[in-house]
Amino acid sequence: MTVDQLSTTFAALADPTRRAILARLAEGEATVNQLAEPFPITLQAVSKHLKVLERAGLIARARNAQLRPSRLQGEALKDAADWLAEYRRFWEESFDRLEEHLREIQKGRKND
Amino acid sequence: MTEAATAQEITITRVLEAPRELVWKAWTEPEHLVRWWGTGARGWTLPPSAVTMEVTPGGTFRVTLTNDEDGTEMTTEGVYREVVEPERLVIDEPAEGAWHEGAVTELALNDLGDGRTEMVVKTTIQTTDEMRRNAETGMAGSVDRLAEILESR
Repeated sequence: MTVDQLSTTFAALADPTRRAILARLAEGEATVNQLAEPFPITLQAVSKHLKVLERAGLIARARNAQLRPSRLQGEALKDAADWLAEYRRFWEESFDRLEEHLREIQKGRKND
Repeated sequence: MTEAATAQEITITRVLEAPRELVWKAWTEPEHLVRWWGTGARGWTLPPSAVTMEVTPGGTFRVTLTNDEDGTEMTTEGVYREVVEPERLVIDEPAEGAWHEGAVTELALNDLGDGRTEMVVKTTIQTTDEMRRNAETGMAGSVDRLAEILESR
């Protein structure tokens, strides 16, 4: 079973252009135009890559500013760097809730 | 298996204050599963209608989480390989559409005889040589470096 957010992150990281975009953003925030400069691809293609990165939680984009500069989001990146630990955390958190759920439904039964 | 595949393994053992039949239900009935599965705490919604569980060998296991903010859907899909009620489940998750080269989750429920159940969950994740090379030279390398840069700020 996949760790849902993690699998999106990995899909986003699988592409070399997107990794290059992240490397550029590690130096500071940048607009679509600035990001497109080093690549032989259209602005539209860069925008598409940014959308994937944003959905994966790897970047954030300013909502109001006209040029909508992008910047790196650290947390998703750290999760991806340590995916095995993240996978374990997914299970541990789920099982914490499983324990709680089992306790609750048994309490309900005893009160019936 | 060729030498191209290696496996990463995670095993988690818990003793639950509940009889085995109840724990089995929690794993095999959607109304129960949605109460504990996944990243509910992190802004994802999982209604019972988004869970498909044909708990029989060859049956489908499918869970679709929906993001509270932007409605993005995230699906986990697998096939039941073994179903031994109420003690053992094996779910195969194919590589297709996933970030790994296939994963297998094995659930074992042991009745401790005093109303408690020992639950052992083992997930084995296949990665290929290529994935590992990528991880060593490319992806993980650049990801680690980026993480370092962020931490040093």
